[in-house]
Amino acid sequence: MSAIDIDHVSKHYRTGAGIDDVTLSVEHGEVFGFLGPNGAGKSTTIRLVMDLIRPDAGRIRILGREVRRGGRAVRRRLGYLPGELALYEQLTGGQMLDHLASLREGRGTGRSVGDLAERLHLDLGRPIRELSRGNKQKVGLIQAFMGDPEVIILDEPTSGLDPLMQREIRSLMRESTAEGAAVFLSSHALNEVSEVADRVAIIRAGSLVATEAVEGLRSRAVRRIEVRTTTPIPEDQLAALPGASLVASSGNHATIDITGSMDLIVKVLARFEVLELVAGEPDLEQIFLSYYEDQRRETADEA
Amino acid sequence: MFGRSLHDERRALIGWSIGLAATIVLELALYPTVRDNDMSALLDSYPESVKQLFGLTDFATGTGYVRAELFSFVLPLMVVVFGVLWGSDAVAGEEDRGTIDLLLANPISRRRVVGEKAAAVVAGLGLVSTVMAAALVLASSAFSADVPVARLGAASLMAFALAAVFAILGLALGAATGKRGLARGVGAALAISAYLLSALGPLASWLEPWRVASPWYHALGVDPLGHGVPVGHLALLVLSAGVLTVGAAEAFDRRDLGI
Repeated sequence: MSAIDIDHVSKHYRTGAGIDDVTLSVEHGEVFGFLGPNGAGKSTTIRLVMDLIRPDAGRIRILGREVRRGGRAVRRRLGYLPGELALYEQLTGGQMLDHLASLREGRGTGRSVGDLAERLHLDLGRPIRELSRGNKQKVGLIQAFMGDPEVIILDEPTSGLDPLMQREIRSLMRESTAEGAAVFLSSHALNEVSEVADRVAIIRAGSLVATEAVEGLRSRAVRRIEVRTTTPIPEDQLAALPGASLVASSGNHATIDITGSMDLIVKVLARFEVLELVAGEPDLEQIFLSYYEDQRRETADEA
Repeated sequence: MFGRSLHDERRALIGWSIGLAATIVLELALYPTVRDNDMSALLDSYPESVKQLFGLTDFATGTGYVRAELFSFVLPLMVVVFGVLWGSDAVAGEEDRGTIDLLLANPISRRRVVGEKAAAVVAGLGLVSTVMAAALVLASSAFSADVPVARLGAASLMAFALAAVFAILGLALGAATGKRGLARGVGAALAISAYLLSALGPLASWLEPWRVASPWYHALGVDPLGHGVPVGHLALLVLSAGVLTVGAAEAFDRRDLGI
């Protein structure tokens, strides 16, 4: 039985937004990344899973129970961080978390609010309206993780957090899955997902483009590299590399797009005196495009 | 959630209680002056419609004065306004501010959210109405208006029931649409139209049969200050509030939230 099972779910809006025939499942013990640009339908999917909105077609089950009918029992074992987090501004962090804990009946065991607050360096005594965006996000994260839920759904969890905190959240996710929980993690940033997720689904304009293991995604990731050397690198040396394409080259400066492993390009560059080397983050849009090109090629092949 | 909702409104509860008590004390403090000056000549000079609209019938007795000055319009209006403001915010406010996502991530049903919010609003109105009744009893005896305590209680109870109906109406509009402003505006407009229907009904024969559609008629049009609690009418108001609560829960349960 999957922790989350989304089965041919569609939700259409008059504006044209929404999701179309999305199917995916999240298993116990894994972090499942849900990746896509803003507005692609990630939050719509998550709010469908949370039964805040209802699908036009398809079925959604959590822990084997249909979310509409079995929602209450399911939510006893679930932690959720909304993408657009809104808290009771007039309360302190501690009061808000106590209130939510009291609504959760029998979730006294597992990670406590105090432990989590200490770990995330959050002062529970301060009124929420005085907290920074990052500290508000911590309140949201604590309520999602408190009591060790079996299913954890996080919509853009690290927004507003500094890199150190982001790492702390990733290790929280890892610890939870090691204990058997399932984490459904939505994000628009590939590097955030690829560092923690086991599998990734990519959504674009409301449709799932692909679901695959993170390793496969890495091999498709395109990075842009800019390099400055003391002597020009002959263009043919770069063009000959598998997975590399020369974007621009002028004198001692070259810009190259690399798909997959960086190993070969580093070995070529090692033969020159490198003054400067900048490798960009893998470009999500490029991955989408590569999927689209694959699809187009397949369609062309079939025809 | 019930306790939280009441706690969050504690300042409003205290504020409205003070406002009501102050209004009551000020009005009744004027009573001895009004009683000792013959106002009937002044009253006769008003057109019948004005007298009907503002309930200006009898200033000579304490009961007549309290009915005309307080229960014809001012006090019920204050409680109704408080009820509509709070009711329209109770569910729709959570949705408007986006806190409903976190609330419903807990093992509670949407119906229970509506139920507890409605209960909190009604309980809060009950508190405010109790303060109102207490202020009436104290001020009536302090300024020797000598209105029977039971009658003051009866009129306060009916004003409370009236406010509860419109508060739940505001809550239901908010729960059904998710729009706080719309719930507040439509709720207030309906409350005022219902008042006009009840107050002006006796003036126009074509309007008269429609008075029974107005909660104001059932609450105060039947004069609880003069005759005590009208049990049948009270039951009708309670039933209306109940039906509206169920409707609100049903509508809220079916909707897509927070779009």
